[in-house]
Amino acid sequence: MTVASKGEIRANNRKLAMTGWMFILPNFIGFAILTLVPVLVLFYMSFTKWNIFGGSEWIGFDNFSRLVGDESFHTALFNTLYYSALHIPLTLLASLGLAMLLNTKLRGLAFFRTVAFFPYITSIVAVAVVWNMLFSPEVGVINQALMAIGVSEPPGWTSSTTWAMPAVIIVGTWREAGYYMLLFLAGLQTVPKELYEAARTDGANAWQQFTNITLPCIRPTTFFIVIILTIQSLKVFDLVLVMTGGGPGQATLVLSQFIYNQGFVNNDFGYGASAAVVLVFIALAVTMFQFVVNQRRDA
Amino acid sequence: MRHTTKWSVGLAAVAALALTGCSGNAATTAPAATTAPTTATAATTAPTAAPAPVTLTMAAWSLSSTPEFKTITDAFTKANPNITITLKEYKAGNDYDTQMIADLAAGVAPDLYVIKNLNNLFTYQDGKQLMDVSDVAAGYDSKTSGLPLYQVGGKTWAIPYRQDSWYLYYEKDMFDKAGVAIPDGKWTWDDYAAAAAKLSKGLGGGDVYGAYLHRWQSTVQSFATAQTPGASILSGDVTYMKPFYDRTVAMQNTGAQVKFATSSTNSLTYQSQFGKQKAAMLIMGSWYVASYLASADKGDAIKFNWGVAPVPQRDSSTFDKPVTFGDPTGIGINPAIGSDKVAAAKKFLAFIGGQDAALALSGIGIVPAYTSDAVTAAFSALKGVPTDTLSKFTFGTHDTKPENQVSANNPKIQAILNDMNTSIMSGSSTVDAAIAKAQARIKAEVLKN
Repeated sequence: MTVASKGEIRANNRKLAMTGWMFILPNFIGFAILTLVPVLVLFYMSFTKWNIFGGSEWIGFDNFSRLVGDESFHTALFNTLYYSALHIPLTLLASLGLAMLLNTKLRGLAFFRTVAFFPYITSIVAVAVVWNMLFSPEVGVINQALMAIGVSEPPGWTSSTTWAMPAVIIVGTWREAGYYMLLFLAGLQTVPKELYEAARTDGANAWQQFTNITLPCIRPTTFFIVIILTIQSLKVFDLVLVMTGGGPGQATLVLSQFIYNQGFVNNDFGYGASAAVVLVFIALAVTMFQFVVNQRRDA
Repeated sequence: MRHTTKWSVGLAAVAALALTGCSGNAATTAPAATTAPTTATAATTAPTAAPAPVTLTMAAWSLSSTPEFKTITDAFTKANPNITITLKEYKAGNDYDTQMIADLAAGVAPDLYVIKNLNNLFTYQDGKQLMDVSDVAAGYDSKTSGLPLYQVGGKTWAIPYRQDSWYLYYEKDMFDKAGVAIPDGKWTWDDYAAAAAKLSKGLGGGDVYGAYLHRWQSTVQSFATAQTPGASILSGDVTYMKPFYDRTVAMQNTGAQVKFATSSTNSLTYQSQFGKQKAAMLIMGSWYVASYLASADKGDAIKFNWGVAPVPQRDSSTFDKPVTFGDPTGIGINPAIGSDKVAAAKKFLAFIGGQDAALALSGIGIVPAYTSDAVTAAFSALKGVPTDTLSKFTFGTHDTKPENQVSANNPKIQAILNDMNTSIMSGSSTVDAAIAKAQARIKAEVLKN
């Protein structure tokens, strides 16, 4: 056995590293061109005044100080947090509940799983049109039902500044619960059956099994879902746009729409970019916080 | 050996990616690069002989359902056989401007493009995306309406070919059934509201109403702006809209017209509300004449006895020449056009605002920018267009004010006023509170910056 010289080891390591790079290269090129470069340009744009045509003018932190005093931006920020604060826990509960239900032995299991997943793959425009009809204050099914059970003044839903956001949250939860259910189902299948058998032998009831076995075992899945769900909620756009268009007034104006309006309606791309940068940092901060909490629990 | 295989696989992947990356680019740039030199040589080698063939490109939307673009380019090519105009389809609605702006910025926009309304004219002009066509404009007179609206800084930047105006459409049989007198051309908004209330009552209620008002902000705001002396949204003072909103809110609360909330949640269309006899009156732009006739032919709308009247007025002083609103639609030249094509493009602009283009357009029910008795007669001669005296008066006599102002602030203020409209019409906010909020926002978000 000859011992490899230092040079050979280094060459070999380099080769290995190159091989690794080659494997991720196809994906990385796409990521770099379509995501990384635009994001870097976005950061640059946020410090400029740019109407898309011609050159941009460097204005330092002017865009950001303008955001601080912009009440529409405050409204959009508040609405985005409002949406997230309700949408994340509701979707989490709904998807976990569905996953628990559909993780049992049941006749027609595949059918029910498909039904639960269906909203997620339905066209968002169709979803918005149908839900809007259901929410119609005077002739909609929901308010007819509410009046039938004795609610004398049912909410105006998408046509009321107070109820538009709850209406959007309900539809958002309904739409996305099926997707996260699928992820939870995958997590639930990894929980060893023996643990439940042992627990039952020890006389643990269903709730005790859930809190002491199920939840700890699926924690990696839950963590992943919370992160994805948080980011998705913070950048909610299409659902709001097609359901309410941000209205009535600014009742459902969210950050993504504020960014879109500044850029593509007002042709103020620099200002829009600065709001996008704020959104990036909010998402980053929340995600980092979640990572830290998760690591503490692991320790 | 194993290593070389890995390497070659990796390299092949890179090569494939690079190739596909390139082809996307090549597809968009290649045609421009190849057509420009050939036409250039053609133009220089034969300047005096028979005119060399020129091909121009023009941006337009919904080509299959919007025949006006093909009508006008065909009419032009018939008169100028050496110039062909190829239409390039863009997205419809508000997406048209978004896509157009992106293509202009990227340098891949066509030679000519339609300026859909005046809202974005400033954006294009200020962004140096329009060629100065003052020399073409000088060839036109006041018969081409809307032309002065395309001026910025004393120069003209586009030529109008179409000038819509808003009218009051009504269905005579429904008026008879309800026992209400049809419009006489001397209605104020209060007369209109009173008639709508009587119609709703006389037609038996249910989902049939006296009037239908579509959800666009312009159906209230643009009339207020056009008819109130001295009013302008650019001032940031929009208190003049209050009486108009008070009236329309009262109309929907008393059942004279369907509520905004019901209309928006059920995605009601004005075509079906009027065309299917759910409303006896509709305030809508002149494009609806051709649109109603086409859908009645196809069976999408009921064929009934209808007429057109001037829109209600603020007071009796303007009954002789009713004040309404509507933006002209124009066409401008992309400054990135090849220098050899400019003459042909200007020739086209010199055609679109004139009588020949107007006759071709009125033949398909479009109200052209050029006005003359011959054009009005051609429009009225269309099969199905109402020919009663009041309808003819309505088509021929009106003072059409622009919906939008040519200013950087216009799109921003319109967006704020749209929020105001949804707040008021959905019943979420009182008229006073919504106006106060909109004015505060205009001051803080637009006028201050």
